[in-house]
Amino acid sequence: MISLYNILLISFCVQPPGENYANPRICFFHVLFKAGALAFYILSALFSDSFVIIFVVTVLLAALDFWVVKNVSGRILVGLRWWNEIDDNGESVWKFECLDQESLARMNKKDSWLFWWTLYLTAVVWIFFGIFSLIRFQADYLLVVGVCLTLSIANIVGFTKCRKDAKKQIQQFASQTIANRFTSTIQSAFSVV
Amino acid sequence: MSYSERDTVPLNQSSQSDIDEIENLINYTVQSGPATVLPARPPSPPRASIPVSSSPFLPSNLPPPPQKPPSVPAASPPPSTNGQQQSNMTGFGSPPNTLTEPVWDTVKRDLSRIVSNLKLVVIPNPFREDPGKALRDWDLWGPFFFIVFLGLILSWSASVKKSEVFAVAFALLATGAIILTLNVLLLGGHIIFFQSLSLLGYCLFPLDIGALICMLKDNVILKIVVVCLTLAWSSWAAYPFISMAVNPRRKALALYPVMLMYVSVGFLIIAID
Repeated sequence: MISLYNILLISFCVQPPGENYANPRICFFHVLFKAGALAFYILSALFSDSFVIIFVVTVLLAALDFWVVKNVSGRILVGLRWWNEIDDNGESVWKFECLDQESLARMNKKDSWLFWWTLYLTAVVWIFFGIFSLIRFQADYLLVVGVCLTLSIANIVGFTKCRKDAKKQIQQFASQTIANRFTSTIQSAFSVV
Repeated sequence: MSYSERDTVPLNQSSQSDIDEIENLINYTVQSGPATVLPARPPSPPRASIPVSSSPFLPSNLPPPPQKPPSVPAASPPPSTNGQQQSNMTGFGSPPNTLTEPVWDTVKRDLSRIVSNLKLVVIPNPFREDPGKALRDWDLWGPFFFIVFLGLILSWSASVKKSEVFAVAFALLATGAIILTLNVLLLGGHIIFFQSLSLLGYCLFPLDIGALICMLKDNVILKIVVVCLTLAWSSWAAYPFISMAVNPRRKALALYPVMLMYVSVGFLIIAID
């Protein structure tokens, strides 16, 4: 399954980094449910008549994929996590979390490459299917594609925000540390004088 | 602390660095607002990589990570006058550890959340202190399963046009939940969008049971009785949450559409053959 995705991505002229996967089983599950939902949708739309089965199985696979990406592969492959909480005032708060700098730097590059590329690629493929069923005026298939697309986009938005915040936090922390070191060096210089 | 106010005797080296560290902390805690990422420290530093269970669906051999205080470093932060920051600090007790927890723990946590939400919503409890606080940790898994289940039962009971029945039932319930939530929000109610979706989904559980019974026994009188009972149960389950969320004068305006939707679902269950 992972090699299939590799082939597809390489055909788009995207090169994976040279090292090996650090968590092959997690990568496998990350790709499994996405590819399963897409494959089931394509094959059964071609060969089967029962819309109910197509809907239930595809949406179930897409929901499982959402859970796996949000709770398992996001944490382990790229060290990011996002969730929503309701605080004591009844306001909804979106929380983003990342590992600290050393662990982030130690992340396997190939893992995170696979994570981000498959995330974006799946959403693009679902959009393509949506346009396809729109052209054919099939409202019920559009419903399936709509649900799967919503789940993919939710994960994309959550993790992209998380990554941007993490980068900003790293920069802020780094510049803060440099500024304070600078200030303390100057002060110690003045105190000696 | 202003350096210009220092008297002419310089502080020695160690206390100067202490002051710097405390100032670091003050600036750092002031900067981190609710939507920024807070770095989480992995629980035990000697580990070379992120501790991970070897297989996602087997119990992990790793010991559960010890509870550690959140990532703000060793010196305790000065008492913050901002109440929002206080709740961020205290509300952050368990999340730093969830970034590196074993997968089985995540699964168990989510499953127990579904069960507890279901019990909270569906079992009537007249002495509940504050219904608004009840669905604090909402989740959409329960509603998803209940809506799909109801659609499947209706589709199964139908003798013709099974696919259309399922698609219509699913679309009706999902769109109905969204529209009802918008209704409450537009009436000036205080409820979070996802919390309300979650609530309306969980309140479908009695109707699911009613539909199952109606599918198994084909007697019309029995169907009507069962549907009326489960309809009353669903509405009674939804009533405290919706009425707490809106202004008392607008309670009926918020509740009427909810009842209407459940009644129409009840008619679908009775009329399907």
